[in-house]
Amino acid sequence: MKSYDLPKNLIDEVKEFEYKIKEFQAGAINPVQFKGIRVPHGIYEQREPMTHMMRIRCAGGIALPRQLKKTAELAEKYGSGIVHITTRQEMQIHNVKIQDIVTIYRELISVGLSSRGGGGNTIRNIVASHDSGVNPKEAFDIGPHTVALTSKMIAKENSFNLPRKFKISFSNGGEIDSRAMITDLGFLAKIKDGQKGFKVFCAGGMGASSALGVVLFDFIEEDKVYCVTEALKLMFNAYGNRRQKHKSRIRFLYKSLGEEKFKQYFNEEYQKLLQNGYPVLELEEIENKDNKNNSLKEEDISAPEFELWKNRYVKEQKQEGLFSVELPLFLGDITAKDAVKLAEFLENFGENSLRFSIDQNMHLRNIPEAYLGNVFRLLPEIKTISDKPSLTGKMIACTGADTCKLGLCLPRGVTPEIQRALFESGLDLDKLDVRIHVSGCANSCGCHHSADLGFKGKIMRKDKELLPAYVVLAGAVISENESRFAEELTEVASKDMPSFVVDVLKIYSEKKARFNSFYEYAQNEGREDIIEAAKKYSNIPSYEEDASYYTDWTAKEKFTVLKGQKAECSASLYDMIDFDKEIIDNSLEKLESVEGQEERNNLLKKILFSASRMLLVTKGLEASDELSVYGLFLKNFIGPNLVSGEFADMIKKAQNAEIGDYKAFEDKIIKLADSVKKLYESMDDSLQFKTEESPEEPSSDENSAEKFKDLRGVKCPMNFVKAKIELTPMKSGDKLALLLDDGEPIENVPGSIESEGHAILKKEKQAEHWFLLVKKG
Amino acid sequence: MNLNEEQIERYSRHILLKDVGVEGQMKLLNAKVLIIGAGGLGAPAAMYLAAAGVGTIGIADKDKVDITNLQRQIIHFTKDIDVEKVSSAKEKMNQINPDVEVKTYNEFLMANNIREIIRGYDFVIDGTDSFASKFLINDACVLEGIPFSHGGILRFDGQTMTVKPNDTACYRCVFIKPPPANVVPTCSQAGVLGAIAGMLGTIQAAEALKFITGVGEPLYNKLLSFDAKSMRFREIKFKKNDKCGVCSENAHITELKDEEQAACDLTT
Ligand code: HEM
Ligand code: SF4
Ligand SMILES: [Zn+2]
Repeated sequence: MKSYDLPKNLIDEVKEFEYKIKEFQAGAINPVQFKGIRVPHGIYEQREPMTHMMRIRCAGGIALPRQLKKTAELAEKYGSGIVHITTRQEMQIHNVKIQDIVTIYRELISVGLSSRGGGGNTIRNIVASHDSGVNPKEAFDIGPHTVALTSKMIAKENSFNLPRKFKISFSNGGEIDSRAMITDLGFLAKIKDGQKGFKVFCAGGMGASSALGVVLFDFIEEDKVYCVTEALKLMFNAYGNRRQKHKSRIRFLYKSLGEEKFKQYFNEEYQKLLQNGYPVLELEEIENKDNKNNSLKEEDISAPEFELWKNRYVKEQKQEGLFSVELPLFLGDITAKDAVKLAEFLENFGENSLRFSIDQNMHLRNIPEAYLGNVFRLLPEIKTISDKPSLTGKMIACTGADTCKLGLCLPRGVTPEIQRALFESGLDLDKLDVRIHVSGCANSCGCHHSADLGFKGKIMRKDKELLPAYVVLAGAVISENESRFAEELTEVASKDMPSFVVDVLKIYSEKKARFNSFYEYAQNEGREDIIEAAKKYSNIPSYEEDASYYTDWTAKEKFTVLKGQKAECSASLYDMIDFDKEIIDNSLEKLESVEGQEERNNLLKKILFSASRMLLVTKGLEASDELSVYGLFLKNFIGPNLVSGEFADMIKKAQNAEIGDYKAFEDKIIKLADSVKKLYESMDDSLQFKTEESPEEPSSDENSAEKFKDLRGVKCPMNFVKAKIELTPMKSGDKLALLLDDGEPIENVPGSIESEGHAILKKEKQAEHWFLLVKKG
Repeated sequence: MNLNEEQIERYSRHILLKDVGVEGQMKLLNAKVLIIGAGGLGAPAAMYLAAAGVGTIGIADKDKVDITNLQRQIIHFTKDIDVEKVSSAKEKMNQINPDVEVKTYNEFLMANNIREIIRGYDFVIDGTDSFASKFLINDACVLEGIPFSHGGILRFDGQTMTVKPNDTACYRCVFIKPPPANVVPTCSQAGVLGAIAGMLGTIQAAEALKFITGVGEPLYNKLLSFDAKSMRFREIKFKKNDKCGVCSENAHITELKDEEQAACDLTT
C-alpha cells in the first residue's frame, strides 16, 4: 500500500531549499524572504526565533505504520519528542532547529512523506472522513480518490503559488461532521444509477468570515474529480485577489463575482479541460481486510474496564469480524516514544491499519475481534486518554498564542482546565455527546464554527485593562441538506470558561431527554439557557480585585496584544477596531431616538472619541490617556490626509478639552465617524489604506471609457504589461481609464503607452495617485 | 484573451516588447516547433523555446545521455547519465515552464519516418551532427514546405541559416550534396568549445521565435558564420540555386533516401 506519490522534482526542490537555508543563515536573504520560501514547504517559525514546526502531509489522514514510526523517530531525535496530529489530519514535528530541517525532510522522503504545501498559498492537505472504507453506512470508500488527487495536485508546480490557500475535503457520506460542505472545494460521495460519483460543494470555509459551501455540481462521475479541481484552481489563479490577503479565499471570489459569473468562469476552465481530454483520476483500491501477518498471541480479557472501553472507542467495520479502534489523544499530542511503540504494534496488522481524524485522534483499523484485547493491553503503555469518556477526546483546541502569532488566547491552556472541571463535576460524560471546539482567535483553526459548543478567543476590555476572553457559539450542524455554523451567543472571560462549560452541560444533561442532539437543544431552549448561564459571569472583577482574570491559563505574563508585532497580529487588531466600531454604531443608533440634551451630548462625545481611537492600532499606536488619542489621530491620520483636514479644528479643540457642547459639532462628528469607517473599509491586509474609493466608473463624461483598470500597487513594469493586456483586445479609438501610482509608474507608463502608438487623452493627479485616460491607436 | 495572471507575469518581458506584445505571445503559445537532436544545439534551443512559452515543442533524439555530452549539452545533468536524452530534456523543459507541451520522439529520423514526424510543425530546428541528417532534414522540410533553421558547429566555428522552402535558398542550394566521407573530420580529430554550441543553438532559437512572431528578418538567403577565436561574425549572401536538387524547377529529389554516412558525435 502506498500513501500519495511524492512530486518528481521534490528531491531537487529540497536541494534548492537547503541552499536557501544556507543563504539565510549567512544573512544573504532576509527573514521575510526566507519565510516566503519555507512556509510553502510546510515549515513555520514558532514564537521562539529559529525554531520551527514541520507539517507533514497525510492525504486523508492515511499514514502507514512505518511512516508514523519514522516521523516519531525524527521528532525524538530533532524535535520536541512529540508527534502532533492536526485538525487537517497531518502530523507535525515541533521545535525543530533550522540546521536539521533538511535532514528531516530527506528522511521523510525516504518513507514517502513530504511537508511540501503544508503551509502558504498552496493546495493544503486534502482531508477525508477517517472511517472511509470501513464505515458500514458510507456510500463508498473515498480513500483512493483522496490519495490519487493528492498525488496529481502536488505534482503540479502551479499548485504551490495560488492567490491564497486552497483546501479540499472528501466525505464518504457516512458521518455527520464533515468538512465537504464548509471548505474551498468539497466532494460528498454519492451513488447515482449504480455509478460512483460526488456532489460537489465549493466556496465554503471557516475563518474570520465564514461561509457555507454552495453546490457546484449535484453529481459528477468519480473520474471527473481531478478535472473539477484543476478547473477551480486555474480559475482561482486567474481571478483570485492576490492583493488583499484576508479577502482572497475562494469564498471571497464567489462573493465578489456573484454566483452566475463565478460558475461561468469556472465552466470556461472546466470545459476547456474536458475538451482537451484531460486525464482522469487513476484510482487504486485500498483493501480493508484481515492483514494480520504475525503470530501475535490473542489476549483474552474479561473485565468491566474492557467492556467500557469497547463501548466508548471500538466500532464494528463493514468488513465482518474486523474492528476499528479510536485512540483519543490529548489535543492531538502523542509522545514520540509512544508513537514508535504503537507503530511497531500496528505493523502486526499490515500497512492499512492507521488513520488520523480531524478531531486530532488516531484510528486503528482492520483489527480482528480476537485481538482487541491486545490493543487494550497496549493502552497503559502509551499515553492516550482512552480511559476517559469520548467527549474529552473529541475536544479540539488550536495551537493558540503560544506558537501562533495571530493568537489572542491560549486554547491549549484552558482546555485541560475545562476537562478537569468536567471530571470533577460529577456529570456522566459518557451520556453527553457534545463537541467542544476552542480557537484562539477569529480564524477558526480550532473549528469553533462547526462545534456544538464553540469558543473563539477575543479581547475584552474592563475599564482600561484588556483581558483574555472567549465568544461563546453553539449549535452547528453540517450535513448535506442542512448546514449551519454555530451561532455567536455571548461571551465569557477565559478564567470563567471551565465553570461556565460545566454549568451549560449540567443544564443540558437535565433537559437532554427531550432532544435528539445538542444541536437540536441549542436551536431551541439552549440558546437562551446559554445566554442566561453567561450572565452569572458577566461581572468581571477589576485588576485590583482579582488579577488572575488578566493572565490567561498557562500564560506567564499579563495579557497584552501589541507585543511590537504589528501586522502579524492583525486578527487581534480587528477585535480592537471592532470594539470602537461597535461603540460608534450603537451610539449612532441611539442618537436616532434619544432626546435628552445631556444624553445626546454624551453619545456624541463617545462617537468622537471612538472614531478618533478606532484606527490608531493599525499604526501600532496606543494612547496613554484620553486626550492623547486626539493628538495621535491628528498627527497620524489628519496630518497625512488619510482623513480630511476639515476635522482638524474640531479635533484640536477636543485635544485641549475645549469642547463643552458636542451638539454644536453634531454634523461634523457624524461625518467624521463615517469617514473613519470608510477608511477602515478601504484597508487591506498590510494595513494600508486607499485614500479614495476606487472610481469603478470614472464619473464625469469626458472621463468615460470603455474599460477601466486600477493599476495602483502594481509595480513597474508589470503595470505597463497589464495596461497592454487591457489594450490588446480593444478596438482602435476605444478608451481605457487607468489609475497609476505616483513616482516611477506615472513617470514611465504614459511614455511607454505613447511609444506604442496610443494617445494619452488625460493625465490627472487624484490624491496620492494618477488618473490616466488612454485612446487606443 | 486567455492569458492567466501567472502567464501575464511569466511572459511580461515578451509582452513589454512592442513588436511581440500580447498577440506575439499568443502566437508563441499556439505554435509548434520541432527540435531534431537533443544535443549541443538542441539543448539551449529547447530551453529558450520552453522558457518563451512555445506551446508545443517536439524533440527527437535516439541517444542516451553520456558523460561526454555534459560539457556542452546543458539541458542534461550529471544525474541524467544513461537516461534517454528526450526524457531528460522534457523534464527540464517542463520544469522551466509547465505550460509547454513537450512531445518526445525517441528515434532516429530517417527517410522513412521523418516526413510524417515533421508534418504539422510550424518550424523545425536542425540540431543534428551529420551531413547526412542535415541534407535529409533539408529535403524533408522542403518537400513538406516547413521552414527550418540549419545549424552546425565544429571546434571554434559555427554557421547557421534559415530556410523558407521555395521562397528562399535551401541548404542544398548552397552545399549541393554531402561531402565524401573521408573529408569529414572524425570524432577523435574534432573537438568543440562547449559555449559555441550555446551560441549557435541560441541563435537558432531566436530565429524560431522571430519566425513565429513575425518580428524582424530571419537569416534568409544568407549564411551567418562565426569564428569564436576572433569572435568575428560574417554573413555570406547567396541566392536560390536554379539547379538545386530539391527546391528548383529541375529538382530530381521527390522522395527521400538515407545517405550512407556514419554519424559523428560532434555536435550532439
Ligand atoms: C501556527 C499558526 C497558524 C496561523 C497563523 C493560522 C492562520 C489561519 C488563518 C488566517 C485562517 C483563516 C483562513 C482564511 O480565512 O483565509 C485559518 C483557518 C484555519 N486554520 Fe489555521 N493557522 C495556524 C495554525 C493552524 C493549525 C496548526 C491548524 C491545524 C492543522 C490550522 C487549521 C485551520 C483550519 C481548520 C482553519 C479554518 C477552516 C478552513 O477554512 O479550512 N491552523 N488559519
Ligand atoms: S485560531 Fe487563531 S490563534 Fe488559533 S491557530 Fe488559528 S490563527 Fe492561531
Ligand atoms: Zn534548394
